[in-house]
Amino acid sequence: MRVKWILRSVIYFVMLSLLTSCWNSRELGELGIVSGFGIDKGPNKDEYRVTFQVVNPSATATSTGASKNHPPVTIYSSTDTTVFGALRKTSKKAARQLFFAHTQLVVIGESLARSGINDIFDVFERSHELRLNSLVLVSRDADAASILKVILPIESLPAMGIVKKNKNTAGVWGENRDVNIFELINGITGESDFVISGVRINGDEQEGMKLSNLDQTEVKALVVMSGLGVFKDGKLVDWMDGPKARGTVWVQDKIKETSINIDYKNKKKSVSVDINLSKTKVKVKIREGIPVFDIHIKEKGIVNETKSFVDLSKGDEILKLEVSLAEQTKKEVTQAVETAQRMQTDIFNFANELKRTNPKAWKSVEKDWPALFAKGKLNVHIDAYIRSTGMRLKPYLKENSK
Amino acid sequence: MMPKNKESGNTKETQSPEKQILISTNLAENLKEISNQFGNSTDIVIRKFTIICTRVQVAAVYIDGLVDKIKVDDFVSHAMSFNTHTEGQQEVTSGKDAFEYIKEKALSIGEETMIKDWKELCGGLLSGQTLILIEGLGEAISGSTSGGEVRTVSEATTQVSIRGSKESFTESIDTNISLIRRRIKSPNLWVETMKIGVVTQTNVSIMYINGIASEKALQKLKTQLKEIHVDAILESGYIEQLIEENKFSPFPTVFNTERPDSVAANLLEGRIAIIVDGTPFVLIAPATFIMFFQAVEDYYQRFDISSLIRLLRFLCLVISLFGPAIFISALNFHQEMIPTPLLINLASQREGVPFPAFVEAIIMEVTFEIIREAGIRLPSQIGQTVSIIGGLVLGQAAVQAGIVSPAMVIVVSITGISSFATPAFNMALSIRYLRFAIVFIAAFMGLYGISIVAFILIAHMCSLRSLGVPYMSPLGPFIPDSQKDAVYRSPLQSMRTRPRLVSQKNNVRMDSDEGKRGDKQ
Repeated sequence: MRVKWILRSVIYFVMLSLLTSCWNSRELGELGIVSGFGIDKGPNKDEYRVTFQVVNPSATATSTGASKNHPPVTIYSSTDTTVFGALRKTSKKAARQLFFAHTQLVVIGESLARSGINDIFDVFERSHELRLNSLVLVSRDADAASILKVILPIESLPAMGIVKKNKNTAGVWGENRDVNIFELINGITGESDFVISGVRINGDEQEGMKLSNLDQTEVKALVVMSGLGVFKDGKLVDWMDGPKARGTVWVQDKIKETSINIDYKNKKKSVSVDINLSKTKVKVKIREGIPVFDIHIKEKGIVNETKSFVDLSKGDEILKLEVSLAEQTKKEVTQAVETAQRMQTDIFNFANELKRTNPKAWKSVEKDWPALFAKGKLNVHIDAYIRSTGMRLKPYLKENSK
Repeated sequence: MMPKNKESGNTKETQSPEKQILISTNLAENLKEISNQFGNSTDIVIRKFTIICTRVQVAAVYIDGLVDKIKVDDFVSHAMSFNTHTEGQQEVTSGKDAFEYIKEKALSIGEETMIKDWKELCGGLLSGQTLILIEGLGEAISGSTSGGEVRTVSEATTQVSIRGSKESFTESIDTNISLIRRRIKSPNLWVETMKIGVVTQTNVSIMYINGIASEKALQKLKTQLKEIHVDAILESGYIEQLIEENKFSPFPTVFNTERPDSVAANLLEGRIAIIVDGTPFVLIAPATFIMFFQAVEDYYQRFDISSLIRLLRFLCLVISLFGPAIFISALNFHQEMIPTPLLINLASQREGVPFPAFVEAIIMEVTFEIIREAGIRLPSQIGQTVSIIGGLVLGQAAVQAGIVSPAMVIVVSITGISSFATPAFNMALSIRYLRFAIVFIAAFMGLYGISIVAFILIAHMCSLRSLGVPYMSPLGPFIPDSQKDAVYRSPLQSMRTRPRLVSQKNNVRMDSDEGKRGDKQ
């Protein structure tokens, strides 16, 4: 009886050990936590230069008695024909095994982006460590490696700082998109083209790498978000900036909050409206062989600033502002779509929308969609509402003051 | 504990020779025999005197310390008060006469009995009776004079509550029974007493409410108690361990308390109390897992607060069982589960820590256990010093020396504090050592190991029975009716029935018809 019992439990434990899972025990001290990595074109054809930003835990601000004499991150780079090959090759340089589950940021070098990025993302889906929710950015006027090298003020981890910057500006300004790898792969596999936010270095790149960069109130090199990179067939074709970029985001229905300056009477861009709710609906139809894009935007905002006298206590004045707001929005949206049409890149998911709503019609236009897209007619309808005038009604300015 | 069969062998040997021996008529011989039996123990007091008018030799025997001196004096002087001058009184001349007279007089009080048997005589002496032996008579008059020093009813020390009765049990079984009786004034509150322990002859009482307690459980308990053959019962813990069905289970299946109100509440739920002489801890069976997380105060405070506090206790159970294990497995196996800023924070803390996380955890846990164990047995003043040295000096110094990471200290502390939140100390003890097993497995198998252990533990707990009642009820066999007093506590108005499975017979606690309720009980 007792022997049988022991035998049984031994068998159970042997069976348990066969059921493998994440059994691989690794101490935190053996891991080099990769916070971000960049992919550039390698020196030879078909080669990538992959750059890793590895966290230096003892120098991060959170640690007890953190030594401030070391940079918070260290950069390693390796070249190989595959991304994963480069990952593993780095072991020659790094003392710790690189750990990718916390990769926040993937930067793609501009030159690589121009030659096509469609084939580099397989490793992100296949590897169990890499995450699909890392942010993707395209470096602008710089290679990905130099973006990762710059140390940022306030944020101790540069990669995380860049992610936060992008999130911040995408959230309150709306010229950039928060595109992660998952979305990007959807973009690559879908019928439409896609955009990726750009990132650039303002200032001296060499200074930005040094810890001394942080010893001043205004740093010599700063990483800033800059426009949207427009990709056609997986290749970067152009950049969109300012109102065009925001118009693009608007059509994509990704505006969370933004601030827009509108005209009032004869004063140009004198009233600032904070849009805090915006909803875009897109309908794509084919009429006489030409696509028609119906864009319907409903936006609600708050008047946050007026430079001239506006009697906001009167409903009529608010209505006037709403008309002006709608006009301004329409202008930006039209500008964005027209620019995209000129480049023949459907970055607004119109193709996917058409395929979803009318697969038959899509079949007929599938072959020469870029050309048809460029010819497409645009109907923009804006419902703009101003819901609040902030903490006061009339401004302190007198009506006729200059 | 010695094996049972050996015990029963001893029992036969010591019991049989005493059986039929009667008290002799020779006083001197009797006294000598008493001295022999007790090995001339110095606390046996023999007071010899002669009744003047009759010249009859009389002796009073008692054990010092077990008796109340005033009672002894009362008893002896009352029995011996020959008032020869009183009219109408018979003249006492012979031993026989004296005996008759004393007997009549003594028995008239009602507390005294006649003893003929040596075994009874010894038992009587040991339970604090005073015996009067008379020359020429083969009988002894025994008077109940038990008393002596006992601890008075004082405040509960291990199960303190803010609100509720401040009384707690004492070491005296009579006091304990009376404390319960004062709370349940019903003739249906029945007590059965037996002596367990061949040498110690400890009084053990079982107490239950007739009509509410389940017959089956009662029978089972009685047979189990009868089967106990040990030489000594020094604490209720002996009984608890001897009647437990699964001796190798880490979980206690008998509840113990030192609060009379808790016992009363459990009796009213149909449970049975086992009161052991010499200990303030009263056992309650059948016990369920949930019981160990219910405190009496839950019923004294409002239901919403009590429910939240009870949920908190279950949270504490999870933390104290799995806290360090989850931390270690997240740190060693599932780094991707930890939010990035936290991971980097932890990584920076662990820079320079020379040990793997598991060893670090074990060092801290063992240190904590040492501090706890050392603190328990020390007088309270020194106990504080230990906790200061342990907590402040060791904890902080260990972190500053870089031997352990601050996060680990936090995890171990919260685990330790959580284990104190379990109201029942014996359950907290079980959790305390299970935690080590879980930490160990987590270090080798990560969360996968933790889930295996959790699975095994739950399966094991569901298989346990306490006097035939499933341990995990009302969760194990899910009883919707009993949920109102399990994980949370519903308002008293809605707790109309007693918990199922414990009391099957009389289930209704509250009835709209008052008269009906009286009949049922």
